[in-house]
Formats: sequence, C-alpha cells, structure tokens
Amino acid sequence: MLYHAVLGGLVYGLYFTLVGLGLNLMFGVMRIVNLAHGDVIMLGAYAAWALFTAWAVHPLLAALAILLAFTAIGIPVYYLIVPRLLRARDAEMLSLILFFGLQQIIEAAATIAFGTTERSIPGRVLGHHPVRILGQVLPAAWVWAGAVSAVCVAALYLYLYHSPPGMLTRAVMSNREEAKASGIDVDRVCSLAFGIALALAGIAGVFAPFMLGSVTPAIGPDLNIAAFAVIVIGTLGNPIGTVLGGIIYGVSLMLMQTFLSAWANLLPNLLLIAVLLVRPSGLLGRRVRRA
Amino acid sequence: MADELLRASGLESGYGGVQVLWGADIAVAAGETVVLLGANGAGKTTLLRVLMGLMPAWRGTITLDGAAVTHETTDQRVRRGVAYMSELGVFPDMTIADNLRIGSRFAPRAARAAAIDALYARFPDLAGKRRSLAGSLSGGQRKMLGIAKALAGRPRLLVMDEPSAGLSPLYVAEVLAVLGRFRAEGLALLIAEQNVAFLDLADRVCTLERGRTVFTGTTAELHANDALERAYFGLT
Repeated sequence: MLYHAVLGGLVYGLYFTLVGLGLNLMFGVMRIVNLAHGDVIMLGAYAAWALFTAWAVHPLLAALAILLAFTAIGIPVYYLIVPRLLRARDAEMLSLILFFGLQQIIEAAATIAFGTTERSIPGRVLGHHPVRILGQVLPAAWVWAGAVSAVCVAALYLYLYHSPPGMLTRAVMSNREEAKASGIDVDRVCSLAFGIALALAGIAGVFAPFMLGSVTPAIGPDLNIAAFAVIVIGTLGNPIGTVLGGIIYGVSLMLMQTFLSAWANLLPNLLLIAVLLVRPSGLLGRRVRRA
Repeated sequence: MADELLRASGLESGYGGVQVLWGADIAVAAGETVVLLGANGAGKTTLLRVLMGLMPAWRGTITLDGAAVTHETTDQRVRRGVAYMSELGVFPDMTIADNLRIGSRFAPRAARAAAIDALYARFPDLAGKRRSLAGSLSGGQRKMLGIAKALAGRPRLLVMDEPSAGLSPLYVAEVLAVLGRFRAEGLALLIAEQNVAFLDLADRVCTLERGRTVFTGTTAELHANDALERAYFGLT
C-alpha cells in the first residue's frame, strides 16, 4: 500500500508540477502574482470538455490546440495589463488585487456560460485499461497527465536553457533593469513568457477533469492554493524547482489519502504554512534560484 | 563637431514629479572620450539613462549619427551602436558565457562567436571561468565582465555609469588601462564618474551641477577654471 501510494504520488505530483509551472514562470519573469491562475486552468478544462463534447476532439489534440490558442491570447493580454502594472510603485501588491478581480470575473463568466453542473470527460478516452508500472496499477489518465506534464517541464527547460529567447527570459529573471539596459526588448520577452505561462495552465486544465474527477467553474481557488503550495515548496521564481514542489505535494497527498484520508484536504494549506515558517525561500533555497 | 556620434540638447527629465535634469547638453564625437563629472545627485545617472532611453526625456532632443532618437527605445539605440554599462553591468545569476552571448546579440550574426573569442583573449581571467556565475566573481572581475559584455556587440560608443564604483584603487587602475586600450582602437567612450583619475582618459570633460551642464571643454580648460578646479580637485 505504501509503495502504491508513493508511486501514485509521483505521477500525481508530476501533474501538480504542471499545475504550478505557469504560475512560477510568471512570477519568476514578471514578479507578478497571478491569482487567476487556477481559473485559467479551469478555462483549459472547459475548453477540452467543450471540444470533446462538440466534436469528440481527443484531449491530447485539445492540449495542442490549447497550447497554441492560450499562447496567442496571452501575448495581447500581457500588453493590455502587465506593462502598466509593472510601472506602478508596488507592482506585486497591485497584481494581487488586479488578478483577484480577474479571477472573480472569469469565474462569474464561466458560471454564466457553463452553469454550475459538474462536467467530466470519460476516463476511457485516454485508455480503456489501467496501466501497470513497476508492478503497480495506475489509471491510464493519470499516466497520460504525468507524461504530458513531464514533456511540458522538459520543453520549458529546453526553452529556458537552450534557446535564444529563453536566454533572454533568464536575463529578465536575473535582473529586469539590467536586461533593459542591455538592449533586451523586455516586453517582448515577457509577453512570450506570459503566453507560455497561460498555455501551461491551459494544458493542466485539459487533464483536470480526469485528475479531479469533474470540473465546475468554482475549481479555480482550490487549484490556486495547490499551485501556490507547489511553487513555494519548490522555490518561488524558479520554474524548474517546481518539479520538486509538485512531487513532494503529490506524494504527501497520496500518503495522506491512504493513511489519514480525513486530513488530506488540509494538506496544501499545511504544507504552504510549514514551508513558509520553516524555510521561506523554498526547499531548494536561494542557492539554486538562478536564472 | 567632426563625425558627431551623439548629441543631446536641453534635456529635462526626472522621477515622478521630481525634476532632476534641467537642461543638460552633451555631445560625443566618433572615437572621442568624454568624461561626465558631477557630485552625488548632480544627475549623471539620470542623464545617461535618458540618453539610453531607459527614462523618457520630458524636453530636449537626442540624436545619434544625426538621426533623432529621442523617442526610440533602448534596444533601438543599442542597435545603432551604443552600448550601456550600468553600475551593476552584468546578470549575476547567469554564467559568464551567457552574459557575453547576451551582449553579442547586437553584433552581426556571423561575427558573434569571433567577437566573444576575441574578448576571452583580452580577458583571460574570464576565459577560464566561462561556466561560472557572474555573481561569483570579485568586484573587479565583475567590472571587467561588464565591459566585455557591453563590447561583445561591437558598439561604436560605450556609455558607462561610474565604472570605478566599489573598486579598490588597484582595480580602478586596471579598468583605466583596459578602457585606454579600447579607446586607442577607436571606441568612443562616455563615462560618468566622480573619480577624477578618469580624466586621464578624457578628450573632453563635461560637468553637471543640479541637472545642468555647467562646463564643457578639455581637461586643460577644466584645470584653468579656478571654481571647477576647487570643486572637483579640492584645491585652494
């Protein structure tokens, strides 16, 4: 039972890495806190559900479409909101207020559009049979979600560390003012990072109906708390550190659900508080908080 | 002025509602070294930031090679061949190699690798530490990396904000020697400084007081001006 919980937690944790990845990228590059992150995940979930319901679009194909669509939408949204925000004296605090407002609007609009009925996509779409890994049986949807998350992490790593725009993104993460002084078009770099962050959230949303069982327009805030727990554990502002946070979160959640199920829902908050009290710079600390 | 590279006239600017520049003028010719002297708070950094497009000019004009650039962005000005080295000058969380790659983006694509190799040859201390983080370097080495990063894009004019800040006299001498070599190769320099040792490099000196240019001339003319001589050299 312990082995199954740990293995399941690893896969589940990979998914929650994806849940936190976009939030951490956005904070790392722009130093803004996107409280609407969970609602972007919710929008991804509804987009996948709508594509499946209307045209039977496979979730993996939906993930690809959402990657392109959310990136394309994110770039103009960046120019509409963020440069003004960053010119403010206390951009981090203002971003909290602004994105909280956006979160309320997105949730209300989704409720009007989709109602409050729980929506789901049949698990068989991602495989009729459970998958056996290292002697343990896991739902196929979990394995797909974990695999897609791993691909997203690898793609983000390649983008950041092995591509010219990624190098400029790391420069902005290292020091925004120095990046401007070095002739980097900071808004162009940030707009792309903003689009990618939304796309990562959208892809996480595609798998939300499978990982959470069903979705409603109200899932955003809970996903936000989970995402915050993941990125605070893994080190705020270090997108790749999110992997550690996701896996610790996933394994802890599975262990709690297996051995102390009544307490499992408290876990994100407990982990968040514990890390903030004991090691506020995240488990990886500042040593690896490098661009 | 022959082969005028940069000219700024009547610049006014500031932070929020606080005006710092009240009509600053400065000009740099191709291959010329101009040292911008001024006490703390005189507006040197603000003037450089306005020249580089990091802050807007409220009034006044800036031209590069005769073309008006007052409303151009920083990256557009860098593309025109002007590099800026701020007091920080480097990305501390990135490797030396990455810092130089970022600086080299403004050199022609085919010349970037050669430009970086040439800089490693001139700064052997950096060559041996390519994969080290810039933040792990000593203050002097970091300053050298800042110079190398700014020059990796093969600019015609290097604008520097207090290159001596935080350096021991030994490193100041090294920075001066390095800049002297690049100057001899035709690089134009605009250096904002409080350290009068940099006057050794200067073809012309510009002094800034309370956001206004109060003197422009050669070092000899500066020395001949009793008031300025007292202000900057503490002589009576």
